[in-house]
Amino acid sequence: MNMKPRLRKFALAAHITLAVGWIGAVAGYIALDVAAATSQDAQTLRAAYLAMELIAWYVIVPLAFASLLTGLVMSLGTKWGLFRHYWVLISLLLTIIATIVLLVETQTISYFAEIAADPTRSSDDLRALGSTLVHSVGGIVVLLVILVLNVYKPRGMTRYGWRKQQEERRM
Amino acid sequence: MYMSNRPPYPGTPRWVKVFVFIVIVVVLLLVAGMLLSGEHGPGRHTPSGDGSGQVPPSFSVTKDHAPPEGDRG
Repeated sequence: MNMKPRLRKFALAAHITLAVGWIGAVAGYIALDVAAATSQDAQTLRAAYLAMELIAWYVIVPLAFASLLTGLVMSLGTKWGLFRHYWVLISLLLTIIATIVLLVETQTISYFAEIAADPTRSSDDLRALGSTLVHSVGGIVVLLVILVLNVYKPRGMTRYGWRKQQEERRM
Repeated sequence: MYMSNRPPYPGTPRWVKVFVFIVIVVVLLLVAGMLLSGEHGPGRHTPSGDGSGQVPPSFSVTKDHAPPEGDRG
């Protein structure tokens, strides 16, 4: 089912906004994550962990799900389809993997924030927590790969897409 | 003799093969890194390493949070 041009443009604008917003939110999160990884100051660590939890739960997770949803709408509502082109299929898989890793990582982030919110915790306790830098930097790399795939749309149909295309040409 | 007029599938593009190869290498490196560094996940941050999110109370509370002498009425 193909969307009408006006609806397609609106869905595309929404998808770009949400997907790029996801990257921006992760970039902001990484700034806090770097502070959590490098700072020795207890107040900075407390502030960083608490802000990381807020950004993760109230910005990054909603943007991730909204990007995934609008991506599905865009692929199913246009000629690209979901399983016809490799760039769409790989983007979908990477988005699902990134969302799953994000949801697992929020458990760690919430744990950090719980410790940071406890006033009885010492500076040593906070310094021992560490950061989620490996996951957040890895996450933004994956999101940038998806972005590049979506902009360049490299050629290449899946076997399913090729078969469908031949069937449509014959009809 | 029956001959299909459907052109043959051109095959998986080279960029997909290269991409999949890179992903496999990265995943293997990550798995190796995790195996070498020990635990992975929230549990690695707990002193007991039980992953339950429960950390024993700190013994340095008095050092960090005791009010200064002048504040004691």
